[in-house]
Amino acid sequence: MKLIYSITLLFSLLFASDQIPGPPQDHPIIFTGATIHTVSHGVLENAEILFDGGKIISVGHNLSAMYKIEKIDISGKHIFPGLISAGSTLGLQEIGAVRATRDYAEVGSINPNVRANVSYNPDSEIIPISRSNGILLALSVPRSGRMSGMSSLMMLDGWTWEDATLQHPVGLHLFWPSMNVAKSDKAEKKDKSDKESRLKSIQKIDDLIQESRAYLKLKESRSSSFKHDLRLEGMLSVLTGDIPVFIHANEVRQIEAAVYWADRQNLEMVLVGGKDSWRTTTLLKDRDIPVIYTQTHSTPMRRFENYDQAFTTPFQLFEAGVKFCISNSESPFQTPHIRNLPYHAAKAASYGLPWEEALRSITLSTAEILGVDEKVGSLEVGKEATLFIADGDILDIRTQVERAFIQGREIDLTDRHKTLYKKYKIKYQQNGLLKGPVLE
Amino acid sequence: MRILFLYFCLLSLIFNQIEPVDGLRENPPRVWALTHAKVYIEPGTYLGNATIVIRDGFIENVGRDIRIPNDATVLDLTGKTIYSGFIDSWVEISTQPENTIPHDAHWNHKVNARRELYSQYQPVKKKLESLHKMGFTAAHIVPDSGIFQGQTALVQLNNEGTVLISAVAQDIAYEVDGWGSDKYPNSLLGVVALLRQTLMDATWYGEANAITKQFPKFNEPLKGNRDLDVFSNWRQENKPFIFETNQELSVLRSFNISDEFQLNSWIRGSGYEYRRISEIAKVNPFIILPLDFPVTPDLSHPYQALSYSTSELKHWDLAADNPAILIDHGVSFAFTSHGLKGNEFRKNLIRSIERGLSETDALAALTTIPAEKMGKGNQLGKIEQGFLANLTIVDGNYFQNKSKIVSTWIGGEEYPVLPKYDTDIAGEWKLTMGKKWYQLELKKKNNSYSGSVIQDTTNFKLSKLKIGGRFISWQVTLDSTAGPSRFTGHILENRMEGTAHDLQLSWSALKIGGLEKEEKKEEDKENSSELSVYYPEGTYGLENDVLQDAKSILIQNTTVWTCGKQGKLEGVDILFEGGKVKKIGYSLNSKGVTKIDGTGKHITPGLIDCHSHSAAFSINEGTQSITAEVRIQDVMNSDDITIYRQLAGGLTMANILHGSANTIGGQNAVIKMRWGATPEYLLYENAMPGIKLALGENVKQSNWGDENTTRYPQTRMGVEQILRDAFASAVEYQNEWIDFRKNNKKWKKKIPPRQDLELDALVEILEGKRQIHCHSYRQDEILMLTRVAEDFGFTVGTFQHVLEGYKVADRLKEHGANASTFSDWWAYKYEVIDAIPYNGALMTDVGVTVSFNSDSRELARRMNTEAAKGMKYGNLSEEEALKLVTINPAIQLNIDKWVGSLEVGKDADFVIWSDHPLSTRAKCEQTWIDGVQYFSLEKDAELKARDTELRDKLVGKILSKKSDSKGKKWNHSEKKSVDHHNCLEEL
Repeated sequence: MKLIYSITLLFSLLFASDQIPGPPQDHPIIFTGATIHTVSHGVLENAEILFDGGKIISVGHNLSAMYKIEKIDISGKHIFPGLISAGSTLGLQEIGAVRATRDYAEVGSINPNVRANVSYNPDSEIIPISRSNGILLALSVPRSGRMSGMSSLMMLDGWTWEDATLQHPVGLHLFWPSMNVAKSDKAEKKDKSDKESRLKSIQKIDDLIQESRAYLKLKESRSSSFKHDLRLEGMLSVLTGDIPVFIHANEVRQIEAAVYWADRQNLEMVLVGGKDSWRTTTLLKDRDIPVIYTQTHSTPMRRFENYDQAFTTPFQLFEAGVKFCISNSESPFQTPHIRNLPYHAAKAASYGLPWEEALRSITLSTAEILGVDEKVGSLEVGKEATLFIADGDILDIRTQVERAFIQGREIDLTDRHKTLYKKYKIKYQQNGLLKGPVLE
Repeated sequence: MRILFLYFCLLSLIFNQIEPVDGLRENPPRVWALTHAKVYIEPGTYLGNATIVIRDGFIENVGRDIRIPNDATVLDLTGKTIYSGFIDSWVEISTQPENTIPHDAHWNHKVNARRELYSQYQPVKKKLESLHKMGFTAAHIVPDSGIFQGQTALVQLNNEGTVLISAVAQDIAYEVDGWGSDKYPNSLLGVVALLRQTLMDATWYGEANAITKQFPKFNEPLKGNRDLDVFSNWRQENKPFIFETNQELSVLRSFNISDEFQLNSWIRGSGYEYRRISEIAKVNPFIILPLDFPVTPDLSHPYQALSYSTSELKHWDLAADNPAILIDHGVSFAFTSHGLKGNEFRKNLIRSIERGLSETDALAALTTIPAEKMGKGNQLGKIEQGFLANLTIVDGNYFQNKSKIVSTWIGGEEYPVLPKYDTDIAGEWKLTMGKKWYQLELKKKNNSYSGSVIQDTTNFKLSKLKIGGRFISWQVTLDSTAGPSRFTGHILENRMEGTAHDLQLSWSALKIGGLEKEEKKEEDKENSSELSVYYPEGTYGLENDVLQDAKSILIQNTTVWTCGKQGKLEGVDILFEGGKVKKIGYSLNSKGVTKIDGTGKHITPGLIDCHSHSAAFSINEGTQSITAEVRIQDVMNSDDITIYRQLAGGLTMANILHGSANTIGGQNAVIKMRWGATPEYLLYENAMPGIKLALGENVKQSNWGDENTTRYPQTRMGVEQILRDAFASAVEYQNEWIDFRKNNKKWKKKIPPRQDLELDALVEILEGKRQIHCHSYRQDEILMLTRVAEDFGFTVGTFQHVLEGYKVADRLKEHGANASTFSDWWAYKYEVIDAIPYNGALMTDVGVTVSFNSDSRELARRMNTEAAKGMKYGNLSEEEALKLVTINPAIQLNIDKWVGSLEVGKDADFVIWSDHPLSTRAKCEQTWIDGVQYFSLEKDAELKARDTELRDKLVGKILSKKSDSKGKKWNHSEKKSVDHHNCLEEL
């Protein structure tokens, strides 16, 4: 016990980030001379934006004349709404290979009741690293077995997980069972069990829904037979339509099965993953099912598919009129790398997706799919002042993010990497291998 | 002569029987004359209406008008065809594990050269019968386990299991146990290394043995090794080695090994030989060829159909052409029924004949060729005087579906295939019952009869017709007012007699004629596939396997990123000729060249990935801490689709490295992405040999779970010691050889040093001929390796990953090592907690040559934007950033003289980009290697269209075919890419 305690202490010390959360916005701010990427209303050149009390008051031209407050000229810079990662284990994981730092997978396959935000570690080193590149909001997702739990949309700054939560719950996450049927001879026996096991797995999900509905009935009718069951309780917000079920599926048979299942169960769904979604655009469009596409940086699923299939899928979804957003890979291995989110969108853009759609696919489209577009996702009056300033197009790797605000709070853009960089630069300045004075 | 021969036979008869007789002696007559048959005395030559005289197991005489000896009993075989008994050239016999491994056996459990299969062989009646049913009378039996599996044998398929040749060949298999096994070798890499080392050891052992015997006073007695002893003799006698292959590239690999050791080698084929037929035909090996063709895949569900690759579907269409293609290319082979059951062998053989294989070639592959190859050409394979009386008797042509195998004769003894009690009664009969007579018609289809009784024009169908041996019974209703009548009877020669019980009459029937044969349906006949093979097979493959010549290309008015002294040049022309950069300048003019308008485009050198695991079948031999002997070049996979995908991202070269499972891993291979080529031609000719080392968590098995805690080392302290131990032993080994090569007198009487492939590689490191690519993370271990290297007098080539390199960049520079790192990976394991994306830039600033690598088949497709991260993190200039993936990796691989920049005289490896190469907007439009275009958007569109059409056509063809698979599952899955992505996941 003591050992575990000290290990925990050790890690929390090791992994606590040094950045201090920003204080609430206490005065209005106007930026002028900027290229403002509103996402909702196009790009405004040499424009101004005013925000106060954490909200955007005004976006446009000649605002500074109307408001007699100090203005900050950022000519030549660009302002973007905070980028939104639509799914990772951010805050639930620190070092992938170290078990003690993994908090994303609860035991068992049915965990609809677990909540991501309660174990979100606001001091994770990965958080400042991610926001340094403009990722200001991120969906934190539990990942275990079949029904993995409820996700939370987190702001990438805050003293506690409660401070950092923008929205909870966002979705209930269901990892659709494999629908694969082995084709090979050796796997003949396995094949039978494949077929059976996929039917059983779907039945298990159906059973869970049926039980949850029965549970809801007992609860609503204040039945004397009602006894609490946390797992079933966790299902209720989906049954009542408060949140959608986020179904993780990549292969075409999985996607179809999931869509028809949601239809049969009369549940609102969001498709996550969607590697084969280009094969089912009509189905997705007809039923208005949004897709969180996470596969831009992946190889084609099959040997005979186009070399650039994963890059062109967003364009195909766009052309077909499917509602979609782009996100980073869901794999926990990629969680430390969600800072590369804009480059997933950029890749899609260089393979056909219109450039402004690419930006939308990591901001407003994401906000819409996560149900938070009233608050974030674009630079519009009344929305939260969650935005950042960069020296160029955020979809280009060479661009640097210079300042960032979450709900009007200016956040610290230093991070572990910058700190170590600075530290070792000093080493080489001290021993004369790098020119220039020793910086502090 | 004849008398002598008979005398010899008699002798052998008398002395063959060694064991005492239990009960009465049995001496069945052994003299027969088979008459009136069509006799194939050898492939392509037959005698009609001929006689074969068999005496005491041998063929005494064969011919058309020969005298039948008085003592011979005549068997009339009118209508039958007699072939020399077929030989199945590959019958696997399950080997017994040895209870106690002999003390003088080879150290490795997979080396079983000593195993003599003939001594383990036990005839199993069921197996014999199934082989007789296919027509086989003798078999080449082979073991089924191990790498060196043991000595094969040629046996008679008789009940006694007579051994004809006790040692035919040494059987070699690429047996890979996989990651689940902790015994060396568990990977293909290790298997090939063990093969090579063992073959070398065999030669050394032979010499050592001789010297020890000659100079016992100067040499300690040599530790006996039975397996090496066998090999040593085997090689001296130049006896054959058989390589078991599972696909065409594994044949080419076997050629390399066999070439290196000058082996007399045979190939156990796979059926895929047609895919690399020209390379195979060049070497022209003897192939033991299976005929297990794919079943028709079930594509009825379009989504299930997606799980079949196009190359698998093509193989379905092409497989049966393989034998004819081999013959057309002059490759000789013998058939085996390996992998096939029941009638499948004949069915598939007939399919191949319909597709152009001649019956003569097919018969030779069943008789003369295997007999000669296996050393019994003078007694097996033909029907000739003095040959063993092995015969296959068919009631027609063996190579046509309808005929049946009647019996086989093995060593003069008959093994009936069709039950002798079966009589054929199909035909027209005259049925007499009391005073009435009827017409009786009996039809036979697929071994079951149907029949009817016909009176005038009325047809009464027989029901419950049963025929067994010479018994027949049926029911028939001849009079609608009465019930059915039951008939029973006995079949005599062309006559039947019996009782009609319910009519209380007796009946008899006489055969009056046969039935008209139904014409063979023409549509059942197969045609050769109309498809042509692609190189490599499957989508995106090229249409011919001839290497393309370099083109002369002039790109005009463009931006050239030379990555050399000239830097970035705008508005220039660049000319490529003869596979080299010819000229860079303004307004160049050249005649007879292809001109490309480069306006708005950017030209960069081909990108180079200094850490990749693509294009290999095997990556980690992780069973031992040091496996310096294994070589990636032995396991190249030129068919890996990732080659094409990476070309499409502008990558032209990659450093294919062994994994990081152990401290000293295997030897690398530097390749050019020459899509369509054979493995050999992927290898870059100018590359300096290298080797993978690894430090830290992987080699101490930190993340392998709680069970892996005993392999040395388990700490970074141990890693250092294991390295010092390895290099110290390499020094000693090196000294021994130096001493030996001085050719002192003492060595004339002493055993020479044994060549050790593992230590050879380490000595090459000491000599600076092989450079180290070391997987590393933490500063302490990086520093440690530089110190160990300096103590042993060599320099580390590149540190790979080197994520804390920025902490000791000064040491790297001082030591002279390069750094090949990830742009921005971190936090996936504890040792990368301090990894920062500024690593590359900071090391560059201090003066270390840095590259960014992929270590991932996915990331390798977009290395240009990886390079851009050098600008983002640490403010490298754009030219410096691009060098991270061009000239810098070339410097690190010691190939910068030829590649990595666009300078006059260097290789014409270049990429045409649509935009600034470091911009995410840039798309790779064309990729060229050695002046040959390997990728272009236009060509890609053509290939896509071609492959889509081909696939649609094939799917259509398969859907319209009646399923022949009867619920059988797909049996030809191709797995041509190994799924490992990076140094973490590959574990």
